[in-house]
Amino acid sequence: MRSRPVSARYLARQSAQAIFTIAMIVLLNFILFRMMPGSPDRVNPRNPNVTPEQREAARERWGLNDPLLPIGITLDPPGITITGENQLFAFIAATLRGDLGYSMKYRGKSVVEVIGDRFWPTILLIGLAEVIAIILGLALGAYAGWKRGGKADRIGNGLSLILYSMPYFVIGMPLIIIFAAGLGWFPTSGMLTAGATYTSPLDFLADLLSHLALPLATVSLGLIGGYSILMRSSIIETRGEDYVETARAKGLTDRRILRSHAFPNALLPAVTLIAINLGYVVGGAITAEIVFNWPGLGTLTVDALDARDYPVLQGIFLFLGISVVLANFAADIVYGYLDPRVRR
Amino acid sequence: MSAPLSAPALTPDAVRGARTRLRVRNARDLAGRFARRRDGMVAAVILLVFAVLALVPALFVGPLETVTTATGTPFEPPSLAHIFGTDQAGRDMLNLTVHGTRISMVIGLLATIMTILLGATIGITSGYIGGRPDQFLMRVTDFFLVLPTFVLAVVLAPIVLDLVGIDAEIFGIKATLMVIVIVIGLTSWAATARIIRSQTLSVKERMYVDRARVIGGGSGHIMRRHILPNVTNLIVANTVLTFAGAVFTETTLSFIGLGDPFAPSWGQLLNSAQTSGAPGLGAWWCIAPPAACVVIVILAFTLVGNALDDVLNPKSGVRR
Repeated sequence: MRSRPVSARYLARQSAQAIFTIAMIVLLNFILFRMMPGSPDRVNPRNPNVTPEQREAARERWGLNDPLLPIGITLDPPGITITGENQLFAFIAATLRGDLGYSMKYRGKSVVEVIGDRFWPTILLIGLAEVIAIILGLALGAYAGWKRGGKADRIGNGLSLILYSMPYFVIGMPLIIIFAAGLGWFPTSGMLTAGATYTSPLDFLADLLSHLALPLATVSLGLIGGYSILMRSSIIETRGEDYVETARAKGLTDRRILRSHAFPNALLPAVTLIAINLGYVVGGAITAEIVFNWPGLGTLTVDALDARDYPVLQGIFLFLGISVVLANFAADIVYGYLDPRVRR
Repeated sequence: MSAPLSAPALTPDAVRGARTRLRVRNARDLAGRFARRRDGMVAAVILLVFAVLALVPALFVGPLETVTTATGTPFEPPSLAHIFGTDQAGRDMLNLTVHGTRISMVIGLLATIMTILLGATIGITSGYIGGRPDQFLMRVTDFFLVLPTFVLAVVLAPIVLDLVGIDAEIFGIKATLMVIVIVIGLTSWAATARIIRSQTLSVKERMYVDRARVIGGGSGHIMRRHILPNVTNLIVANTVLTFAGAVFTETTLSFIGLGDPFAPSWGQLLNSAQTSGAPGLGAWWCIAPPAACVVIVILAFTLVGNALDDVLNPKSGVRR
């Protein structure tokens, strides 16, 4: 697998598609949240001290009196008006500046800040889980596929299918009951012991790890199934290939053929899946975070949902949408490098 | 051609009869091949059991218990009176789980129907018409493929709820549940459309489609009578796999609190268990029955789907 540069045309086409999709996500973000009943100034009429004039001034200041779209169609008189002063352009400009508005629940905090606070716990949890799941899942799938039809395959593939059928919380809740509530080995929720003071960094790490263990096991188990199933079918396809037969004819051991000949070639589709999956890293395990009350983006999403904190929901949607698009883009580029046929 | 096949045999009735016989033989052939897949058969029987539970839950466990008609005390462990124990409101878990079957399955079914209708229509139209409309439709499909399904669902659900109101009913189903159906449908049709389109592209190049066009068949007629029957195999296998995905998504959405507490699905039951602190209290009986049902049903659908896929589309090989 020697890498050669992908053609400029391929790169340009993939970039154009990624940019188009991100633009559509921004547009969808705009439309979705304007479909909601009421308008931002509906909070004002409840306050008896707000005069209609003040309300009107607020509407003007927030740009709510501007038309929604740059192009408007009027029936009387019939015609089309085009204006630069509209809510869509203002929204796009703000999004480009990185201004996603302010949270309703966490007063005074910007959406970017709120999301930023929750970003690293999620990355820590899901990032580690992905590493574990990739290693174990690919190994399990490769071994099961190599021994197709045998005992190892039936157990391995059965296990993968069962894990694949389990939502994260179905894995996590039994783990809490057994290892936290029952045996008391691990804490039931959170990322750190509340109010704890640490004498050394090692102390801190120990506390973090004991909180991390169960959520990490949950997400890893939830991810293993998908990787294993894909790797198994990929290995089964390579088993019949000529180069595997050749290696066998040369008298190589079964282990050696799997490790040096079949596995690297079967990895190609897996690499693509991994790249695409990384895009879902941040939004992928919402329910796992809820079960363990892990202070990441997942719990943030549900808190925002309960509080109807629309600016935060909007921000999360934009953020996750863009990360998925970028991951897909990366997957296409990686695939272009590895497989010369799609590179044109 | 020998004598028995000459003129009198070719009356419309005879043609229809021959066609029916051929169909019956094909169906029997397929059923035979499916029956040889042991995993698929076992899974199909399991699904049948759940289908019966979903159709007549009251026959087995009586009417759905509510907080006011609860028959036990909170968090009772399994006993002879309540073999699955009771939940935080003293309701019998067996009763709730069996009734949850209906809600989970109905939502899964409706979401699957919506997904397949959208996906098949767009896939066939896009593939058959081709050209600019095809390019446009496929761009839209790509967009929906990339969208993070789950997050979109989370964002869409409260908006739709705010728009129609929580107590509104759509087709006699509570809006909260209908929202889940719509959200799953909107976010999962794209994969189906892709698969159906690629099959349509190959089917439309076949001779009989040209023949139909030459004798003046319209596009709608050709798509319905010639393309659709030839992509049905694909649709059937895809439907079963979509059902698995729909139940999965429904469970997850209900779990994070988008379900209807008055019509509890399995996901909703797990949500109540989570919010009432059952895991921390070690009340495993509140979690095990609905969780086991979720896993068994999703697994069964996946196994039947894979078996059907192998039987109906021998060339497609091992997927997923």
